[in-house]
Order: sequence, then C-alpha cells, then structure tokens
Amino acid sequence: MTAAILEARGLTKRYGGRAVVDQLDLRCKKGSVLGLLGANGAGKTTTLRMLYGFVPPDAGAIYYAGKRFDEQRTEAKREIGVCTQDDSLEYDLTVEQNLLVYASYFRPRVRNLRRRAAELLDRFGLSPYASQSPQVLSGGFVRRLLIARSIVHSPTILFLDEPTTGLDPSARLDVWELIDGLRAEGLAVVLTTHYMDEAERLSDELLVIHQGRGIARGEPHRVIDDVLGDHVVIVPRSEPARDEIGRWLRARGAQEVATVLGELRVPVGKEELAELTTRFADATWQVRPPNLDDLFIALARRNGRSE
Amino acid sequence: MSTLSSLSAVADWRSWAVFRRNMLVFARHWRTAVIPPAMEPVIFFLAFGLGFSGFIEDFTYRGIDLNYATYISAGLIAYTGFGTPYYEALYSAYFRMFYQKTWDGILATQVELPNVVWGEILWAAARGTVNISIVALTVAVFGALGLVDVRPQFLVFMPFLGFIAGCAFASFALIFTAIVPAIDHMNYPVFLIGWPLGLVSNTFFPVEPENPTLAALMELNPIYHLAECARGLLVLGDPGSHLLGLLGSSVLWLVPSTLLAVRLTRRRVLGD
Repeated sequence: MTAAILEARGLTKRYGGRAVVDQLDLRCKKGSVLGLLGANGAGKTTTLRMLYGFVPPDAGAIYYAGKRFDEQRTEAKREIGVCTQDDSLEYDLTVEQNLLVYASYFRPRVRNLRRRAAELLDRFGLSPYASQSPQVLSGGFVRRLLIARSIVHSPTILFLDEPTTGLDPSARLDVWELIDGLRAEGLAVVLTTHYMDEAERLSDELLVIHQGRGIARGEPHRVIDDVLGDHVVIVPRSEPARDEIGRWLRARGAQEVATVLGELRVPVGKEELAELTTRFADATWQVRPPNLDDLFIALARRNGRSE
Repeated sequence: MSTLSSLSAVADWRSWAVFRRNMLVFARHWRTAVIPPAMEPVIFFLAFGLGFSGFIEDFTYRGIDLNYATYISAGLIAYTGFGTPYYEALYSAYFRMFYQKTWDGILATQVELPNVVWGEILWAAARGTVNISIVALTVAVFGALGLVDVRPQFLVFMPFLGFIAGCAFASFALIFTAIVPAIDHMNYPVFLIGWPLGLVSNTFFPVEPENPTLAALMELNPIYHLAECARGLLVLGDPGSHLLGLLGSSVLWLVPSTLLAVRLTRRRVLGD
C-alpha cells in the first residue's frame, strides 16, 4: 500500500459553536488525485484551509508524510503547493517574476531557480509571455500561471481549489491535461470542483462532504453507488403520471426526488425499480446509471433541507 | 501564535521576503511612486516655510534665534516620516490585502501572517526613509542657498530616525487596514487621526500644552519627538532627550500596535 502524503484524522472546526467540519478523515497518496465534493456550505473550503494551514483545526490532526503538521509546520509547508480559487497573481511583475518571487517564499531555496522557472514556463505554454505582465494573459493562461506558480518549489502535494471555474471548455481541457500530467509525475493532488465531469475524470478517489462530515469515499463510481444506489429514473415533463410516480416513490422512501426543468429524476434501488416497472407499466420513463451530477443535486437538496 | 513569536518575526527571513517583494514592485514603478509623493513636503516647505517666513518674526528656540523656515524644515522631515509610512500601510497595504489578494498568495507559502505584517511595517518605514531623504536633500539645497540655517552634516541621520518612528506609524496604520470595511472608510484614520496628529506634534507650529495630561500624551507621541529630535540636531547639533523619547515612544506604539494588527489581520484575512 502506498504511504499517504497527506492524512487527516478527526478534523473538526467550529464557528459560533457550530461544527463546520466534523470529525473528518481523509488521505491522499502519491500520484493520485483526491476530489473533495460537496454542495456550497458543506465544509470543503474550511477543510482545505485547515489542510494548508490557513486556520488551525479545533480538534483532530493533520499529517504530511507521517509528520504532524502542527509540530513541523514550516517544514511541511515546504512540501505543499496551493492554488487558490482567487487570482492572487502579481500584475506589477512579469510572468517570469511571478514565479521567481513566489519561489523566494520558500526555504530551502529552490535549486537552479531560473532553470526551474524556464522549464515551467515552457511546459505551461507561458514562455512567449515570460517578460510581460500577466495582464496580457487570457483566463486559461492565468490559471496555468497560477498552477505553475504553486509548484515552482516542487512540492509533493498540490491543493487545487476549483481550478477551472470560469474557463471555456478548451481551456478546461488544457488544465485537465496539466493536472493529469502532474499526477503522472507522482504529485499528490487534492481537488475541489463544482464540475462533476471534472471530478469524475480527474479523481482517483472522491470524498463526499455533507454538513462537514465525510459521507462517502472511494472511487467515483463506488461513491455514487453508495450515496444514490443503482439507477436513476427519469420521468419526462410530458408524462401524465409524473406526479403520481413522484408521490409513489416518496412513499417508498425515496429521499432525493429532484425536478430538473420539469423532469423528475429519482435515484432508486433494484427492488424499487422492479416494482416501479410493474406498477407503472404504461408510463413513459427512462432509466440510466447515476452520475456525479445526480449526486451533487442530491447533496444540495440535503443541505437545503437541513438549513 | 505567541506574543513573542509575533514580535520576533521581524528578524525572520520570511518577513524580509515580503519586504523584498514590495521593494521589487516599487522598483518597477519608482518614478511614479517616489517623485509625486515626495514633492508634497517640498511644496509644503515652499508654501509654508518660505511663504510664511516673511510674516512670522524670528523666535527663540532652546536659547537661539530661529526663523520659521528653519523651524519648519525639521517639522516637514517629521511629518514626512509620519505620513509616508502611515499612508503606505493604510492604502497600499489595503490594496495588496483586499483588491490584489497578494497576501492570500503569500500566505499559501511558508510565510506566516506575522511575517506579512512585519514585511509591510518594514517596507512602509523604508518608504518613509526614501521620502525623508528627498526632503533632507531639499533642505540641504535651501541651506546652501541661505534660505534656512541648518547643520547639513546632521541631515544624514534623518532617514534613520525616520525609520524607527516609521515602523511605529506603519504598525498603527495596519490596525485600521485590518478593520476598515471598504477603502472609503480610510477617511476616518486619514482625516480624523492622521491629519490632526501630524499637525499637533510641533511640526508646523509649536504646541506647549499646560495641561499635565496633554503634556504627558505629547511625550507618548513619536511624531513630536521625531520633530524635536530632528530640530535639535539640525539647529543645535544636539537632539537632547528627544532621541530617547523617540525610541521609547516608538517602541510603545510599535509593540501593542503590531500585536493588535497581527490579531486583527488574522481575523480579516484568514477568518480565524
């Protein structure tokens, strides 16, 4: 079994007496991507902020390469790369200087820094802009520079907070390729995203957070199965028995009945599906495997119910 | 983080990394960053020093006759030593913290929050020394032209004195930077604190309160000691007790202000 680069046990953070993150455990291994998934307010951002040291946990412990973060904080931070969602680039400096100045915040110093910066600029397609301000960069290239900057000191783990938010589909794919390449080189990556296809394609493991707690974890398809079951029934808006089917499913204990543009989407198990087929034999509906979109909608609804 | 570690962060390489970052950005725009702001005290000197001198009779200062232009020379050095770091730590630091998210980026590295605060304090004080140097140079030129009567050899000490006090003023300003909800609210620390404080500190006119409480408060004011220290050196070649007063009052401002600024900035930036 590969040793975890990052491990957190019993991570808890309270604000105003309320546990925003509650007894959360997580692990991220070398050369793997851990996707943190959850609706707004689930506790993802607070979890990340504890993991990279912005706020201390109220309880629990974080380990980097087996060493406690709170005991060897400075050394551990040398191994961490952080790419926050906000654009914190230095627009008064050049693209290359952004890398050089950022590297100056780490000790031991980055070896052969200029060469390292040149390599990153080349790899991320930023070399033509090296001596220009980041102001000339498009959104996709700004994101590339942010990621390049966050790994200039060659960390062993990288935190990516919604790395493709606001990017066009082509730029998103480029960022995916970069992340995939970094993983292939052995970097451990912790990723948060609102794009379900991104989470599904990039993550080796998912951790689903709901109300600060980890409610499911594992490979993406397995997590979906754990939370939602085997199938999703889709009843179109035009089906006359749509409302009746909804009521029947709710009566059978279906929790996550979602309506999307008039279309009913309900995760169901094998037995419920068999009964539904018998009872509503004349109705028109479809069945498909659940995906992360279904999971996300379900979690958002759970959050809404609990607030 | 303990009180001691918040204070000892001044000597940490990480605080100086933040300082170097600010210096590098400054170096890219040094003309616009230096020349217009440094002209302000020069214009003040021309307007008040030379302009008013014709209307104000010479007066006795620590036993010697002094004209108003000479008096205000030291006052402007002190005012610059206060104003430059104070406004740098208010406006520029606020921009870095709030609009540019520079601090967020820095804090995602090995640099910790007290390092950011100290980096800003040191940088703001250094900016003060740059502007003081320009004012001192101007005073030297006016001295050579016979417009003011100062001992030019003591002008070289002015940036050093200004740096000490500048750290205190910058740390004080960072308290407001951490708490103002929006840039418009900077008007409070600027107009209700900065301006009055800068004026009642023996900068442009002597203030000699008879009320013992006010007199004691005056003793705690580093701008007052900076003005009197500079004046004593430039006019008499002797700072008197004000050198000690400057050091003491600066430390008295610097230590609690820095601790409070670290605490409030932590709450503002890290939400903790």
